[in-house]
Amino acid sequence: MGLNVVLRAVGKKRFGRRAALCGVEDSASSSRTSFVVDEVSSIIKEAIESAIGGNAYQHSKVNQWTTSVVEQTLSQLTKLGKPFKYIVTCVIMQKNGAGLHTASSCFWDNSSDGTCTVRWENKTMYCIVSAFGLAI
Amino acid sequence: SAYSLRPGLQQRFKSSTVKECIHAILKEKLANVQYVPEEMPQLTMSLSETIKDRLKEEGFDRYKMVVQVVIGEQRGEGVNMAARCFWDADTDSCAHDVFMNDSLFCVVAAFGCFYY
Repeated sequence: MGLNVVLRAVGKKRFGRRAALCGVEDSASSSRTSFVVDEVSSIIKEAIESAIGGNAYQHSKVNQWTTSVVEQTLSQLTKLGKPFKYIVTCVIMQKNGAGLHTASSCFWDNSSDGTCTVRWENKTMYCIVSAFGLAI
Repeated sequence: SAYSLRPGLQQRFKSSTVKECIHAILKEKLANVQYVPEEMPQLTMSLSETIKDRLKEEGFDRYKMVVQVVIGEQRGEGVNMAARCFWDADTDSCAHDVFMNDSLFCVVAAFGCFYY
């Protein structure tokens, strides 16, 4: 199968960390305000499964599917209540023997921002969802 | 000089400016390129780096940026791409462009988020 997916995020620390209001930051509070890749990854997988789980590629429905995957992912991410701006993209491609490559390059703060990409496939199509979280 | 919480008119991440940058770079870099599976990973990565660097030069101060590049072989298959963002619509924006030739298609999406 000719599918190759490459994702790379290049981070660059632009601004100094904001001084914490009080000097102590315990691990519980940092998970409430940081980008947790596993959490985001499971949200994405759930959204994909529920939107296109058992379906075969249909040209007429693809538009609807990409929209619903993206909207569901985004709404679940915002429910986490973390101080982040989110960007979610989704690519759905029919399995036809053709190759597809994706790459992304980011200019952000490596310590607070993060990204997560999920690749999913079934017999008739590939689905690649990327979520980027940028700290406010 | 005060610390501004909002970008000035000149500093906004303008969709049209960004789209022109992307379009020019794609035209230059992909004009006669054929789809060769072994070379594609390198090409997609270098394209996204180039576009990101170009956007940095444009001078969007205090903007965090994300550039995503998708390259696929032209074989008549169907591809659909969508994006949704949760951000401040006043300060943040995105731009995208598509390039096609006989052997490949390339979609680039660039997003800019203001850092308060």
